[in-house]
Amino acid sequence: MYQYNEQDQNLVNQRVEQYRDQTRRFLAGEIPDDEFRGLRLMNGLYIQRFAPMLRVAVPYGLMNSVQVRKLAHIARTYDKNYAHFTTRTNLQFNWPKLEEVPDILAELAEVQMHAIQTSGNCLRNTTTDHFAGILKDEVEDSRPWCEIIRQWTTLHPEFAYLPRKFKIAVTGSSEDRAASQVHDIGLHLVKNDAGEVGFEVLVGGGLGRTPMIGKVIHKFLPKHDLLTYLEAILRVYNLNGRRDNKYKARIKILVDALGIDKFRELVDAEWAEIRGGEMHLTDSEIERIKGFFAPHPYSTDAVNGVAALESKLAEDADFAAWYERNTREHKVDGYRAVIVSLKPYLKAPGDITDVQLDVVADLADKYNFGEIRSTHDQNLVLAHVQAGDLFALWQVMAEHNLARPNIGTLTDMIVCPGFDFCSLANAHTLNVADQINQKFDDLDYLHDIGDIKLNMSGCINACAHHHVAHIGILGVDRKGEDFYQITLGGSSREDASLGKVIGKAVPQADVADTIEKVLQVYVEQREEEERFIDTVRRIGLTPFKERVYAPVN
Amino acid sequence: MPLLINQNVVADDKWLRVDADTLAQHPEAAVIVPFDVFAAEQETLLAGERPLAVQINGDQDFDLVLANLERLSLVVIEFPAFTDGRGFSFARILRRKGFTGEIRATGDVSHDRLEYMTRCGFDAFEISDERFSDETCSVFGEITVHYQGSADDERPIFRR
Ligand code: HEM
Ligand code: SF4
Repeated sequence: MYQYNEQDQNLVNQRVEQYRDQTRRFLAGEIPDDEFRGLRLMNGLYIQRFAPMLRVAVPYGLMNSVQVRKLAHIARTYDKNYAHFTTRTNLQFNWPKLEEVPDILAELAEVQMHAIQTSGNCLRNTTTDHFAGILKDEVEDSRPWCEIIRQWTTLHPEFAYLPRKFKIAVTGSSEDRAASQVHDIGLHLVKNDAGEVGFEVLVGGGLGRTPMIGKVIHKFLPKHDLLTYLEAILRVYNLNGRRDNKYKARIKILVDALGIDKFRELVDAEWAEIRGGEMHLTDSEIERIKGFFAPHPYSTDAVNGVAALESKLAEDADFAAWYERNTREHKVDGYRAVIVSLKPYLKAPGDITDVQLDVVADLADKYNFGEIRSTHDQNLVLAHVQAGDLFALWQVMAEHNLARPNIGTLTDMIVCPGFDFCSLANAHTLNVADQINQKFDDLDYLHDIGDIKLNMSGCINACAHHHVAHIGILGVDRKGEDFYQITLGGSSREDASLGKVIGKAVPQADVADTIEKVLQVYVEQREEEERFIDTVRRIGLTPFKERVYAPVN
Repeated sequence: MPLLINQNVVADDKWLRVDADTLAQHPEAAVIVPFDVFAAEQETLLAGERPLAVQINGDQDFDLVLANLERLSLVVIEFPAFTDGRGFSFARILRRKGFTGEIRATGDVSHDRLEYMTRCGFDAFEISDERFSDETCSVFGEITVHYQGSADDERPIFRR
């Protein structure tokens, strides 16, 4: 992974001191509240329902064991022994003290981490596919490109006060695990007919109040032009994005209002001014960054572990169930990618304790070249585990409640913290997640239902991506009571689509029962091996509506 | 109101702010003309000889300013709110067009934005009394590492 050089380290150190000084001046009354708000947000600090919340950047979801141990230490020392992974692959601490945040940042800086631009109306952390670099079908590893973008975005002087937050996602294979089509900019590494690698560029996707799928602005952007083109898009947005209404300030609204062709014209005009300029990427820089993401020293003996693995799989049904759901193919024979489930029974999805963080760090050192990834669906990945190590790894993870075999199933939900932590929430989410867990605890049933994506947000901001879930749940407030609107048919993948509301919101007590009815219709109607989403697309919403809202007699 | 030019406090401002009514009263003075007045009186102002400056904000027609840069020795960019980032791009574009005069920030301008503004091409800042302190000038150099190219140095870190 990328290693800071002296300059990178200086930057985060100086940023810590700068923020320390900003905090000091704020506490001394020298910075007004609303202005400090802007400054602290650019440093990932929200003021929430009970306490501040600090969002730590995990650039493109990649961490090493030293960093993860530091996160454990911070959870233990400054927080209540746990932290929370988000859809943006970042990590949130829910209970830090405002005065202690500079110290936390100083500790993070020791391990090449920070909270720069994890919130606020600026360029945010770039996200990517959590299987980047290990896939057979990949055009190119997306992570070097994410790092190039990370450097360009970090403390960008011109784009620190954008109309609204700005998110970029990059993917390198034909499968999309980064929800790239619902980002402000989605970048897809593609090959043209001449065999050159470049980017298909999408712009104007996003969720929240007005969900939209991104539109193609460039079919094939040569890779050396990446930064100049991004800069052109951002400049057009900075100058023309709406600033009168924060709900209409995202780039998706601008692109939609102008139309993609007009928007492209503006970007092209701006790009023509800067395209060949200093920000044009050089081969040596691209190679330098790629050098940090060279393949790990994989063992050629790894395939020898396969026999042992197979006998364990035959002996132990629990292990086999976990292997089936929670591991994935790796391009190197004898290796598998392991997904660490942060969706245990009756615990907040995405939460992780200090002890678990330490366990994951130890396992990564022992079996995974010290590498850990966070995923946009709030799990972790150990991407390169030898077949022969899987059983031992599984045993330790199972002992620490990290091996629930539910990846990709109904209980692998993305859930925002909702009313329990978030001051913007309209409804609770965590207790509804519990309700769903209780109702659908039967493993055979879950595995029979198969791949399904259920996401739940506590308000219209859509932090949990409910619009692009096969089953989306949105908490709404009806005269002080929690109700939940259900959408079906969304997808955040390469076949991205927005879910449609099936009817009036249901009361809290009925959420799991409603989902059960939806699943009954699926089970009755599905054709051989058909995924839930495909059934919904084939038969439409009506059969689901009819079942859910059938009069009770 | 303290005025910083090239990171130093300047005792007096040689520029006089005028509006539609006072414009004619100072036929020789170096004046900062609000954008609306500039747009309305373009011909006379451009034909004159005296030092001329325009004050503009993000809602106004920046192209009109860009079209008349040879006649301007100062462009004042107004920040109606500290969240309004359009002025950052204005300054950047001015420098790109080769404007070598002064670019001055006014309005909601304070300590924590000065360094970014400098990088975008501003070299002068009007700061309200309540937001100015002895520490304000120490902001320059808080962050010395710059990844991206900007108006202060167009070269990104990998070209330096
Ligand atoms: C608890 C504190 C949180 C607060 C105050 C918060 C606030 C917000 C707000 C205001 C938006 C809407 C932005 C807009 O439409 O422009 C938003 C969007 C978003 N949040 Fe959060 N959020 C929080 C936690 C989370 C968590 C825990 C996650 C991940 C599980 C998350 C992921 C996201 C994502 C992915 C979006 C983008 C949706 C889009 O593309 O429009 N946030 N958040
Ligand atoms: S969706 Fe709403 S309730 Fe949930 S975290 Fe985001 S802002 Fe808070």
